[in-house]
Amino acid sequence: MKPSEILTPIKQRYGTAIQRIDRLDDRRLVLHVDAGALKSICRFLFRDLDARYIAGIGADDRPYSGRFMVAHNFAFDRDGLLASVLAMLPADAPEVDSIAGEVPAASWSEREFHDLVGIVPRNHPNPKRLVLPDGWPDRVHPLRKERPWNDRPDGYDEDRPFAFDPAPPGCVVVPLGPFHPTLDEPAHFRLYVDGEIVRGCEYRGFMVHRGIEKLAESVLTYNDIPMAAERICGICGCVHNVAYAQAVEQAASIPVPPRAEYIRTIMLEIERLHSHLLWVGLAGHILGYDTLFMHCFRIREPVMWIAEKISGNRKTYALCLIGGVRWDITPELHDELDQVLNRLEAQWRPLVSALLEDRNLRRRAAGIGVADRALIKEQGLIGPVARAAGIDIDCRRDHPYAAYDRVDFDVILAQDPDVWGRISVRAREVFESIRIIRQCLVKLPAGLLQAPIADELPIGRIGMSSVEAPRGESHHWLITGENHRPRRWRVRAPTYQNLQGIPAMIRDQRLADMTITLGSIDPCFSCTDRLETVDVRTGAVRVCPPEELRDRLRQRWNEPTTP
Amino acid sequence: MSGHLHEILARGLLQAGAVLLAAPLAEGVMRKITAVLQSRQGPPVIQPYYDLLKLMGKEDLECGESPWMQRLAGWLALVAPLSVAALWPGIGGQGPAAGDAILLVYLLTLGGVATLLAGLAAGSTYSLLGISREMMTMMVLEPLLAIALLVAACHADSLQLADLFGGAIYGRSGHSGSGLLMLGVLVFAFQAMVSRRPFDMTEAESEIMEGPLMEYSGPKLALLQWARMARLVVSSALMVALFWPGGAQLGFPWAALVFAAKTAAVILAVTVIAATHVRYRVDQAIRYFGGMLLAGLAALGLACFGF
Repeated sequence: MKPSEILTPIKQRYGTAIQRIDRLDDRRLVLHVDAGALKSICRFLFRDLDARYIAGIGADDRPYSGRFMVAHNFAFDRDGLLASVLAMLPADAPEVDSIAGEVPAASWSEREFHDLVGIVPRNHPNPKRLVLPDGWPDRVHPLRKERPWNDRPDGYDEDRPFAFDPAPPGCVVVPLGPFHPTLDEPAHFRLYVDGEIVRGCEYRGFMVHRGIEKLAESVLTYNDIPMAAERICGICGCVHNVAYAQAVEQAASIPVPPRAEYIRTIMLEIERLHSHLLWVGLAGHILGYDTLFMHCFRIREPVMWIAEKISGNRKTYALCLIGGVRWDITPELHDELDQVLNRLEAQWRPLVSALLEDRNLRRRAAGIGVADRALIKEQGLIGPVARAAGIDIDCRRDHPYAAYDRVDFDVILAQDPDVWGRISVRAREVFESIRIIRQCLVKLPAGLLQAPIADELPIGRIGMSSVEAPRGESHHWLITGENHRPRRWRVRAPTYQNLQGIPAMIRDQRLADMTITLGSIDPCFSCTDRLETVDVRTGAVRVCPPEELRDRLRQRWNEPTTP
Repeated sequence: MSGHLHEILARGLLQAGAVLLAAPLAEGVMRKITAVLQSRQGPPVIQPYYDLLKLMGKEDLECGESPWMQRLAGWLALVAPLSVAALWPGIGGQGPAAGDAILLVYLLTLGGVATLLAGLAAGSTYSLLGISREMMTMMVLEPLLAIALLVAACHADSLQLADLFGGAIYGRSGHSGSGLLMLGVLVFAFQAMVSRRPFDMTEAESEIMEGPLMEYSGPKLALLQWARMARLVVSSALMVALFWPGGAQLGFPWAALVFAAKTAAVILAVTVIAATHVRYRVDQAIRYFGGMLLAGLAALGLACFGF
């Protein structure tokens, strides 16, 4: 289907409720609609046209249009189309009908814009706070334009504990996290356990927000943001770096030189390689198979070295600026990368065939953490979680970016919607990444690394970019703005959607399977925790009371550094 | 009689001391072999001694539900396998002995009971989860050990340890059917008896954060870890004593060396299996043990009728 073919039924059905349609290009669509029709249109896209829900965005647009803005993004994966359904809300009553009842995948996004922008989703099925701590004062919304980036509002009670829902009768509460040996980052799962069986859970995360989105729209400029964006995640940083740059390039119609596109593809695939190799090892560790962990890390190490040779860093490559890349693949690096890939393939192939034939491992991993097609559709689950269930989606092929439309690769699928399927998909995707890098090395065209940009970037344009991270689709949405920075930049990391599927995936299975189920989505909490204010909650040291530690840290933060 | 008693006491102390000193070395060798299998360099083989020393020197924190019970559990865990070592009727069972099979079963079960006590005394959610798993395992596993000793008793026509050890399970007259069946059962259940992977779900670090051990640190943790090492050595020696006769007639010191070598071989097998398996879930493990238990009962039946 072309954009026009998707638009026809929407136009027929909603007619005047659609105010304007912007076709950013053949693969990007923005529908400006009446706020009253938003819910109905979203349901139509999600149910009747079978679009995949990506993310919801709330924005404070008052300085520019005098109104608030809310948008819901959908993907038509078979048609290679991303659509944003956008409505404006009055400044004095920023309320909109919640779509979470119709589109369950929108639940977190709506709770998030309620917390951060103060747009109320009416009749939300679970209107609890998501991002802000419970002690944060009501009616203070950090992403509103009048709040400064380093805001610390009066009445913020930092020590107030989270208010949890009551446990179901007959269940014991088992707290998992914020600190647990297999959670590498803080997040809290309050598990309701009946014997060894988990009956449900409540999630509280967002404990380490860094306010990156707020910083981007108040302090940083266009070319600073890629470096902040890649610090969203310690493992798939390059994904955010590229996704942001592409969103700006699309909004401002900046053509990227082909050589830069190929280099972006190479670095993204190097990142997928080391991420998947790490994950297979970690899965082994969680299941008590440390030998697998050790071998994965041994095989992975040369990938880190070559990344360091190319970019100067094992991680955090600082690859993109708007319109290009900063690092070149020299002939010497070209040969070395080729050798690294050969060695990697030679070592990974026997390990994978042993792994996929390990009956013990299969017995342990099969049938747990099940995410069936219905759950994947309802919660918008993505990446290897979806592909393991046989759902054929991959942004690299469906919404091609960088040089992915010029290389040949297979989308790896499995027919096991469980932890075993995810192990199998990730283990085999490594070979496709190797294949992609090899083709890029052969085809790498000569030319510029950076497009010349003569003028200031246009203002008020919308950009959308989806990049297939190792964990699934990373989606960036932004509006360009004044002072060399976007007005609003929203990041939806893959874990943000996949985590919403966890309560259903762990229900009625054993506690022993909790950590590997959570591990199987390859969670990246830092990706999820990317928003708002500096939260210096460091209470772990006993000799120094937490309050004192906090005050000291705060003092250092506020003092200008003395040379 | 008093000379006899002196001999038993002296031998007992010597044997318990030997196990106490050798256990960390066995652990060190295990770690080294594991490291080789994982293509790592690994720590020096005497690292467990340093670890225990370091823990012994740390502050003795009291943080659980019942501090005195925590201390008791630590000591009990260590004393149980050492008592088994002390009661050992010499290599090949020719020495004088003070115990019988019933006492041995009690002492071996005491190790598991100590783990239960340790978890209960700590009282945290994860400790309790750990001991519920330990309890499930114990209920199926302990009878298996008792059955093995009973099969041996049937063949030897005695409950005295001195008669049971030295390969009694095969019968003094060649290889019996029940003995072979029992050997098979114990070989498959042995990883669980020493709670090593794939049967270490009681302490699964990546699921329930060491379970019963979670609240322990310093000297009490040292006791529990030392007990775990000692249990491995004693259980391996027990396997050798029941199923792997030979070499006892060589006389001192060769008999002892041969016995130690055979025990080391069992520990080596445990290490290799532990390094190459995924941890089982407790329900999978229980189903597995259930099968073992049935086979064990069959072996006992056979032994009763003289096969």
